[in-house]
Amino acid sequence: MIRGHMNVVEIEKVTKTFGQHVAVNALTLAVPQGSIYGFIGPNGSGKTTTLRMIMRIYHPDPGAGAIRVLGEMGSSAASDRVGYLPEERGLYKKMKVSEVLRFYAQLKGHRNPNPLIRTWLDRMSLSEYSDKKVETLSKGMSQKVQFISAVLTEPQLVILDEPFSGLDPVNADVLREAVLELRRKGTTVIFSTHDMAVAEKMCDFIFMIYKGNKVLDGTLDSIQDRYGQDTVRVRVEGDNFDARTIPGVEKVNDFGRLQELRMAPNTNPQTLLSELMRRGRVVHFELTRPSLHDIFVRIARPTVESMTSPEQTGAAHA
Amino acid sequence: MHKTIVVAIREYMVSVKTKAFLIGLMMMPLMMGGSFIVGALMEGRVDTKDKRIAVVDYTGRLFESLESAARQRDEVAIFQGEGAARKQILPRFVLERVETGGLDMPRLSLQLSNRIRKGDLMAFVLIGPNVIDAGSGTGPATLDYYSNTPTYNDARNWITSVLNEKVQQLRLEGAAFDPKVVRQLTQRLPVGNLGLVQTDASGNIISAVETNQAANFLVPFAMMFLMFMVIMATTTPLLNSTLEEKTQRIAEVLLASIPPFELMVGKLLGIVGVSLTMATVYLTGAYAALSRAGYAQFFPWQSIWWFLGFLCLAVLMYGSIFIAIGAAVSDMKEAQSMMTPVMLMVVSPMFVLQYVLREPASTLSLVMSLFPPATPMLMIIRQNIPPGIPVWQPVLGAALVILASLVCVFAAGRIFRVGILMQGKGAKISEMLRWALRG
Repeated sequence: MIRGHMNVVEIEKVTKTFGQHVAVNALTLAVPQGSIYGFIGPNGSGKTTTLRMIMRIYHPDPGAGAIRVLGEMGSSAASDRVGYLPEERGLYKKMKVSEVLRFYAQLKGHRNPNPLIRTWLDRMSLSEYSDKKVETLSKGMSQKVQFISAVLTEPQLVILDEPFSGLDPVNADVLREAVLELRRKGTTVIFSTHDMAVAEKMCDFIFMIYKGNKVLDGTLDSIQDRYGQDTVRVRVEGDNFDARTIPGVEKVNDFGRLQELRMAPNTNPQTLLSELMRRGRVVHFELTRPSLHDIFVRIARPTVESMTSPEQTGAAHA
Repeated sequence: MHKTIVVAIREYMVSVKTKAFLIGLMMMPLMMGGSFIVGALMEGRVDTKDKRIAVVDYTGRLFESLESAARQRDEVAIFQGEGAARKQILPRFVLERVETGGLDMPRLSLQLSNRIRKGDLMAFVLIGPNVIDAGSGTGPATLDYYSNTPTYNDARNWITSVLNEKVQQLRLEGAAFDPKVVRQLTQRLPVGNLGLVQTDASGNIISAVETNQAANFLVPFAMMFLMFMVIMATTTPLLNSTLEEKTQRIAEVLLASIPPFELMVGKLLGIVGVSLTMATVYLTGAYAALSRAGYAQFFPWQSIWWFLGFLCLAVLMYGSIFIAIGAAVSDMKEAQSMMTPVMLMVVSPMFVLQYVLREPASTLSLVMSLFPPATPMLMIIRQNIPPGIPVWQPVLGAALVILASLVCVFAAGRIFRVGILMQGKGAKISEMLRWALRG
């Protein structure tokens, strides 16, 4: 396997089709134990399908590859040692919070989950909602309940599909802290996200899938290295300053105060700087690697010049 | 297996703990007993206002007898109870003799009809001139009752019986017969309706007992109705709960822990538990009610296990179909249209109920009761109508239902597996069939 014996998940040349649509195409991926692995990709690119295959909710096309989770090839439901937070929250509205959690824990084979439920509700500041029906909870609260249901039974692998979406900053911090602590305890965490800043900060490895194909896989460093230092972050003061008209600038991400310029291949940053100085007062000039956000956008919304086929970018990481 | 039980227990608890379950539990006795209760409450609340009836007696010989019968009725028949508790429960019939006054019959009828319209009269009776010596005299031999309250039959029935008796008496006297003797000679004989004579353990002959006609029909009918109600009350909510799990994305969480087939079987087992609970409550209630009324011998002990067995099978069969529909559709509206054919299957025994009650042992009844969707209910009916049916018939029926239930459960399992995670548009019947066949 790719990373030796310590892989929690090993996906080997797996393909999954729905009718004519190829959702995941010949995917190979290995998730090392104890890591936080971030799944990114545009909507409908195959993230959730891949996660569901790891959970054994979906099965790969017959004969099209194999998935090994925690060393098991089992073809039935995921092992009780895997916790799962689906993209859309799935809780029985009419059940009490503690009842739902107990039910989900029992489904994972846990016989006496009550002490754990109390601990987790307490930790997520939900103790007073223990006997309330799920339908009375706010969106953020039910998301925390769903998170508890995924991690309650202390699984070895936790799969979180969009765990932070729709959370306010306070709750997002609570959840992020919980995820990091899971990792500290040796739990492997796979999560998908649309928030590139979160992926950059939290993930040991990043995997990007686009139109069913793997286009990125590796540490943030290794991914950024492949793109080189082709990005310049600038702040220029001046009337009618427009970076898009500067020769050698391929693309501009305007963040308001800051602008991120992507240089065309073989552009000399010094030439660019002098051009900028000619047009206005340069307050900030930083030569840097592209952000994950930028890399994501480059792949998912390719410009004509920098069109990168998945095959070219895909197989690089090892 | 453990997980299947966990799912079954949740399904059971959630169903039994709801208000809907308790309300449903009370609905059936209310529906069945409602008319009796209302009837009992309404008794004694009859309108006892006098009813005025005009009588035109063209024979001139019958009014007196009507009047004396009315007097007698006023004294005895319209009261209930004794002493202080004596209370009028029926209206008095106040008769008014109307002379023709030279009017012909149509004009007189119109005049009297107008009096009824004004509320002055309740009805009027025209006694034709020739009713006593029917056929031999001249003029019409008809007896007509006119009113604008055609559904109120008490007065008409009373007049009919009084006049017929009197006319008969007059006719017999006219022909020089003694009415008393004639009545004696023409007395009808009642026919006893008995079961079979049997012997007890020591060989003594036990004479047959009078069969209870009402019980013979009521017991099988009540058993079938009970089964029908329990099936409807417990299996249809499965559609809702499956649809909830699908649309609320609960299914995805569940399937991350338990394979789809085990999940479905767990839900089915939970509902089988609910239906057994429901049936037990009703059967216990029915036994208590029968014992109280002194009819404990009519409780169908001999077929109670068959009843519960067939109930479980029917719940598995129909429950799996409803689960499959719940998994395949995307909202309740789509579900409704798919439920119609299933509902038709569930109620199909009702269509042939009358025939099977009358001819439980016929070949046609046997064939119909071997059609799996109808087997549970029809077999129970046939078993409970004396003399019952040979035991191979319910055994064969049960075998066929088990087979049908297995097919339903497996097909539903396949539909469930595909449908439960599909969002957006619901599946067509053709798609469901394809999933069921291909897996």
